[in-house]
Amino acid sequence: MEKRRAAVTGIGVVSPLGNSAADLYRGLVENRSGIRAMTEWHDEFGRDIAGAPVKLDPAVVKQISRKVRRTMGNTALFAGLAAQEAVTQSGLDPAVFTSGRVGCIIGSTVGSPSSMTEACVAEYEGRRNDLSACHFFRIMSHSASFNVADMFGINGPQLSTNSACASGLQALGAALELIQLGKVDAVLAGGADESTPMVSSSFQLLYALAEEESPEPERLSRPFDAARTGLVCGEGAGILVVEEMEHARKRGAQILFEIAGYATNCSGWHVSHSDELQIANCMRNALADAGITPGEVDYVSAHATGTRVGDAAEAAACRAVFGSEVPVSSLKGHLGHTLGASGSLELAAVYGMMRDGIVLPTRNLEQVEDCAGILLPREIREQKVRICVKNSIAFGGVNASLVCRSAD
Amino acid sequence: MDHDTIVKTVNSIFVERFELDESELTPDKRIIEDLQLDSLDLVDMIVGLQQKFGIMLRDNPEVRAVRTLGDVYTLFEKLAKEHPEIAEKFQ
Repeated sequence: MEKRRAAVTGIGVVSPLGNSAADLYRGLVENRSGIRAMTEWHDEFGRDIAGAPVKLDPAVVKQISRKVRRTMGNTALFAGLAAQEAVTQSGLDPAVFTSGRVGCIIGSTVGSPSSMTEACVAEYEGRRNDLSACHFFRIMSHSASFNVADMFGINGPQLSTNSACASGLQALGAALELIQLGKVDAVLAGGADESTPMVSSSFQLLYALAEEESPEPERLSRPFDAARTGLVCGEGAGILVVEEMEHARKRGAQILFEIAGYATNCSGWHVSHSDELQIANCMRNALADAGITPGEVDYVSAHATGTRVGDAAEAAACRAVFGSEVPVSSLKGHLGHTLGASGSLELAAVYGMMRDGIVLPTRNLEQVEDCAGILLPREIREQKVRICVKNSIAFGGVNASLVCRSAD
Repeated sequence: MDHDTIVKTVNSIFVERFELDESELTPDKRIIEDLQLDSLDLVDMIVGLQQKFGIMLRDNPEVRAVRTLGDVYTLFEKLAKEHPEIAEKFQ
């Protein structure tokens, strides 16, 4: 039996480069950086480390009803705003959401680290009774997913793929599989995460953070570069409307691109060390799922965060699967690492590349040493992007790869 | 503690926490049916009252029995007489 196919009919973004898919893409094409010195975190770190924060307009936030918003930490809020943009673009009839045939799958590293910190401080200070009844709902691991489901009245499957930095891509993969199985007609899917001092310090502790104070913080995130010193934490959300192809065609929706294949695996041996063999296996499995050979791939949107070990392992995996002819780039030089959002958020930008026939380069990549042997563009490369692979790699030894096909 | 202070303090909770307009807040308004608070909001109303008036209310059966905004005002007129710490908080 032929597999049901999955089309993307809506894309929504909250990002360090702006709060729409168009703003994100424009910022990337203009080679802007969403990274700045986090002066507001100075007391926590004793210096101004770099971060890539989201800036929200309170008036826009208030467009989400109070009864949904009250249980949202920033992670869920980012997801809600991104979901609204995606749903609007999709043109889906609101009645479809309450049909039981639409799902909501949104993952994040933690429900809301800022809300968790607030709860811990209240507990420590003996103010437990000051906490809102809504507080725990902001912290729960599936907070983004159930809050977004409530925003739209979605009453089909509601899942949360909480696999740290692979959360967003796993959500899209799960959406593809639910559609292939015939269990749903559409899914709001993606990832979201917020960055706080606690989040950045988690990476700092592992020597994985670009933690130096710099007069040029926008140059600190340097995926694949010889001088990389670690990642810069970002935040945001990328939410897509993933819809069964015929369902989308019948209602005359614009097909933005197709999610054609997916795989996820884990290393099974280490929680933080990237495993190049399993990253390569993950990409191969995703390509096999899509029925596509490595030679057909036009572009790889890498996870590459700017850590010494992680980037080298992913570069080696790309070299093993694709050789040296397929362009590979990471958008984390512009955006920092938006954590659980990164897979789906960066995929929103990959759509722009497929539409416009370009490959965006890795910002701040100047000198390649240990990541050599793959094609790493230093400037915008004009070429057709018909098939692309998007990778996410996460703590827990988790890998995820998604294979996408352009709409033409 | 005078009636106006109690009304102003109680109303501030409904404005700040539940984003209601001050003009809606009249004593006859039923908290659930008219002001549209639900079970989570009722817990937060108690949390807000505790913070504003400086006394613990969680286990007070009277606060869980209020139905209208006027019931809340009346309850706090009674509690202000029973708990001098409430008046002290507003001095």
